[in-house]
Amino acid sequence: MNRPAGPPRRARLDLLDPLEVSKLGGIEVVTEGVVEGFLSGLHRSPRRGFSVEFAEHRMYQPGDELRYVDWKILGRNDRLYVKQFEEETNLRAMVVCDVSRSMAWTGSPDTILPKLGYAQRLIAALSLVLLRQRDATGLIVFDDEVRAVVPPRARLSHWRQLLHTLAELEAGAGTAAEPALRRVVDQLRRRGLVVFVSDLLLDRTLALKALRFLRHRGHQVLVLHIMDPGEVTLVGPAEARFEDPETRAAVVLRPRDWAGAYRETVRSVVGEWRLACRRHGIKYHRVTTDTPFGMVLREALAPGSRPG
Amino acid sequence: MIGFLHPWVLAGLAAASIPVLLHLLARREPPTVVFPAVRYLITTTQEHQRRLKLQNLLLLLLRTLLVVALVLAAAGPTMPLRGVAGHAASALVLIVDNSPSSGVVVSGTARLAQLQIAARAVLGHATPADALWLVSADGIPRRGDPTALAEQVGRLTVSPQRLDLGQAVRLARDVLASESRPGEIVLLSDLQASAVSPAEVTTPLLVGRSTVSSPPNTGIGRLELGPQPWSSDGGRITVALVGDSGPPVPLSASIGNRPARQALVRVGGAASINLPAVPSGWWPVRVQLDPDELRLDDGRVGVVRVAPVARVTWDPQDRFIAAACQVLQANRRLARGDEITLGRLGRGVSIVLPPADPAELGALNRALGARGVSWTFGSLIVTPAATDSGGILGRARVLRRYQLRPAASGRTGVLATVAGSPWLVRSGDVLLLGSRLEPTWTDLPISAGFMPFIDVLLNRLARGELTITSGAPGDAMDLPDLVTGVRQGDREWRVEGGGRYRPSDLGAYYLLAGTDTVGALSVNPDPRESLLAPASESEIRKLWKGARVVELPEVGELAFSSASRGDLRGALLWSALVLGLLELGMASGWRRAQ
Repeated sequence: MNRPAGPPRRARLDLLDPLEVSKLGGIEVVTEGVVEGFLSGLHRSPRRGFSVEFAEHRMYQPGDELRYVDWKILGRNDRLYVKQFEEETNLRAMVVCDVSRSMAWTGSPDTILPKLGYAQRLIAALSLVLLRQRDATGLIVFDDEVRAVVPPRARLSHWRQLLHTLAELEAGAGTAAEPALRRVVDQLRRRGLVVFVSDLLLDRTLALKALRFLRHRGHQVLVLHIMDPGEVTLVGPAEARFEDPETRAAVVLRPRDWAGAYRETVRSVVGEWRLACRRHGIKYHRVTTDTPFGMVLREALAPGSRPG
Repeated sequence: MIGFLHPWVLAGLAAASIPVLLHLLARREPPTVVFPAVRYLITTTQEHQRRLKLQNLLLLLLRTLLVVALVLAAAGPTMPLRGVAGHAASALVLIVDNSPSSGVVVSGTARLAQLQIAARAVLGHATPADALWLVSADGIPRRGDPTALAEQVGRLTVSPQRLDLGQAVRLARDVLASESRPGEIVLLSDLQASAVSPAEVTTPLLVGRSTVSSPPNTGIGRLELGPQPWSSDGGRITVALVGDSGPPVPLSASIGNRPARQALVRVGGAASINLPAVPSGWWPVRVQLDPDELRLDDGRVGVVRVAPVARVTWDPQDRFIAAACQVLQANRRLARGDEITLGRLGRGVSIVLPPADPAELGALNRALGARGVSWTFGSLIVTPAATDSGGILGRARVLRRYQLRPAASGRTGVLATVAGSPWLVRSGDVLLLGSRLEPTWTDLPISAGFMPFIDVLLNRLARGELTITSGAPGDAMDLPDLVTGVRQGDREWRVEGGGRYRPSDLGAYYLLAGTDTVGALSVNPDPRESLLAPASESEIRKLWKGARVVELPEVGELAFSSASRGDLRGALLWSALVLGLLELGMASGWRRAQ
């Protein structure tokens, strides 16, 4: 197994530049490093929302909060166990990942990960965190149709399967999120967590309809809006023909003339998504692909992200 | 009209197309960039496309105007501008209307004096580099420098000649047509409505008019002397007045140095006045009104011939001639005698008609030749034609006529023609008529003009006396063939018979053939000059499109305004600066906003 190399020994991978982190090794190695860093950081941020209904013990792992350590067992046999509770162990999460052609794009191939590469690593890290918490985690991959479905499992070994699926992801064709989101219902019988990872270059009305449906079914829904920095700020040659890789729609313009107006449009679109999500109790995060993974994980796994 | 100091620089206006060309070149197919968020771009452009297009067009316009302004400034543009000191070398025709109406006295000053002051003011603004002409009522453009023309203006007096203002403007326009310098016409006139005629104005026309209205005026419009010659019993004249209506005015008429006869006449009406008997000869007849503000039309002159009635022999078998002669005899316009033989060749003065029998024509021609007559009867023409209108008779239909052939070179002595061919001729004391005076030859015997024609034929033409004509100064009058001179008082001019004569002064002129007086001209002012009502400003602008009508005192300052040219370079450079700043501000402002 490759070990991360390059960054200082004490550096936390979850707070480094995603591209730099991705260069350290395969998804698995990188993700483990990111998760290790992320979990070590959680010590200083007590988690809330755990249920009081005890379920089982498990071995202490670095990053677990000390207040959940079972001191009696430590006193009896000098081993560290933490107590786990019913709700925590029974969480089922489904990650819905957009692999449309637009996700394969990056505005700066040398300095920024493609949106899909970023999403792969983010989902891997997120799944690992969930699985380590004994949360059942599944994955649905879609472009203009559902490409892959990995049912949720709580075993830690399930992460390998998720990794395998993520590693084989390739950019597809168009984008049709609604069928994929509706497939979640088949996988989550009880209330759970749905993480929708997409650049949201899709039919917003249909997507929101599906997300609302999930909320209606009692699921906690988290939308991670993946954006390349090049999509936030319009740059390019003096005049260019901008072409959509999915629809082939094109527009000719001078970026210098339109940069300001475009920035406003993006701000407006993001605002509309945020407002629409908030209105329906959906958590929304805009994530640019130059954001360290740890910051995104912190947002995604904040107490409000869990169903309750 | 805008002119340029360096017109060749205007070729640089092609540079104005640079912004447009750059714009078009920049429209070439741009590189394709794959960009997933095209939908955001489409939304953006849909919202801002019109505004941005407008901004781009505005910038393009500003840049083009900037280039145009700079090129125009470099070409050194100048344009007519008021209030600019001095003027470019220009050509100016100054028309001073010294026609009879300019003699009217307004507020104690003759109108002409006001026009002269204005004319001097115009010439005072002229420079030696200007080309100047002066046109007065005689219609002759006189060129000169400002000093010489100012002297001519000072010498102008009220002319008896009428000036048609439209014609004068056209004349001035023709004078300026060959000038390369900017031209201008300045017209100073009382602008009588009757003198204003249409003219196409292609040159700046400045019209100076007096604001003081003319006083009421009465003038003699017509003097008719009746059939001539008068007998020794005297004659009757008819006088008509024109002008502004008012109460009847006293009028006196006299012949020669006989005491004047008086009458009261109303404007628009006519009065008949009997004048006393005078001995045979040529007599001037004068009619006179009491003086008013316009003196020139207060008198009128005519000329009458006083002579004993013709003593005529005629053939009673010629029915129509005999009837006419009997009537004239009854009216004491002729008497029986042997002074004139009518119808055939007699011993003395003869009026010869063609014989009824063509067989006699040869003998007649031989007799005419033996008498030394330079005309003979030729072949018979049966094509109907009409007499050509003239002073002797009007138009009458002629069905048959003999061609009248001159025996020698030339055709002197022609008194009347039919279709251009001689029909009534005189040679010595013999008159030849091409047709017999019968209805089968001509309509004349059965027309109303037959009696006056026989009267004129016997009393004037047969005696070598010609028609007495009248006209206005400057009118071209045809002179009979035999006239060799024209006399007015003590002055006498040698003329060529058959030519035209233009009397320049008012009065009676006598036509001379050697030492004999054979006719007269009476020259009087045009009666329209008595109508002093001016044309309105709107009428003037309608007839002379583009004319500027100003008051006389302003003319001096406004003359040469078409040549007063301001330098536009400063204004254009300022405009370019403003355009540049505007372009800079708008472009950077919009860029910042984006």
